[in-house]
Amino acid sequence: MELTDADLVTRVLVDDDQHAFGELVRRHQSSVRGLLRQLTRADLALADDLAQEAFVRAYKNIRSFRGEARFSTWLYRIAYNCFREDARRRKELVGIDEAQLEAQQDPQTVDPGLRHDLMHALSLLPLHEKTAVLLCCQNGLSHDEAARVLDIPLGTVKTNVLRGREKLKRALAAWRPN
Amino acid sequence: MDKNSQEDWLDRQLRDAAPYIDDGGFTARVLQRLPRPRRQRESLRAVILLGITLFASALAYVLSDGGRFISVNVERLATLPMLWLFTLALGSGILVTVAGLFAAISKSRELQS
Repeated sequence: MELTDADLVTRVLVDDDQHAFGELVRRHQSSVRGLLRQLTRADLALADDLAQEAFVRAYKNIRSFRGEARFSTWLYRIAYNCFREDARRRKELVGIDEAQLEAQQDPQTVDPGLRHDLMHALSLLPLHEKTAVLLCCQNGLSHDEAARVLDIPLGTVKTNVLRGREKLKRALAAWRPN
Repeated sequence: MDKNSQEDWLDRQLRDAAPYIDDGGFTARVLQRLPRPRRQRESLRAVILLGITLFASALAYVLSDGGRFISVNVERLATLPMLWLFTLALGSGILVTVAGLFAAISKSRELQS
């Protein structure tokens, strides 16, 4: 039987079991790295550095995880804070690297043209709308969970998601099936 | 196309645009950066404490002329009145109990948090 995230967290807390934490990293690395890649505009090296930092912080502060939210929600919050701190340090974000974006994408599942337009449309969204859309629509968080991750009011999250989605829909109108 | 299905379509495209990222050694790199497990740190601390204790005991034994001060003090204790001895034992007992209680309460608070 596969252990739940809560079981693994308990093992880390009680036995300081780093294998259990490794399993948590394996489970969530893709979504955390994916989110950070989007936020850093496909700067893969920076995104992975931030993801590593986020997981190390999660390990060091795992006692502060009280199980009120999903482990992934808690993790996204740490990752988002790492990104914000880094962005504040750098003051400016790097430009999008189209070649890197295309290289990381699997052309089998989505039309490359549609994916390109979607990524471009996403990159044009303001950061607060992009983050809300990525968390809620791509990573499946509820508005309430996203509000916790971003540490902003629930109403603001809803507004950001709504506005972001509207802009994406307008940008992708030509691709939408009738 | 109604509003709900348009939203489903957009969500699906967003999810599909985020393919699974292969681990590629990422987990191993994270595990390398973690601080050493608590148990290892605690066993190292125990070894250091034991070493210091043994060294201090040996030093005290040498400096006190082969531990002569112990026999001198035991002799002194033996000559004390019974009431003084009782008070000394009671005081020591209370002191140890209070220290134990304090340690237990701090530990339970730490576990609760």
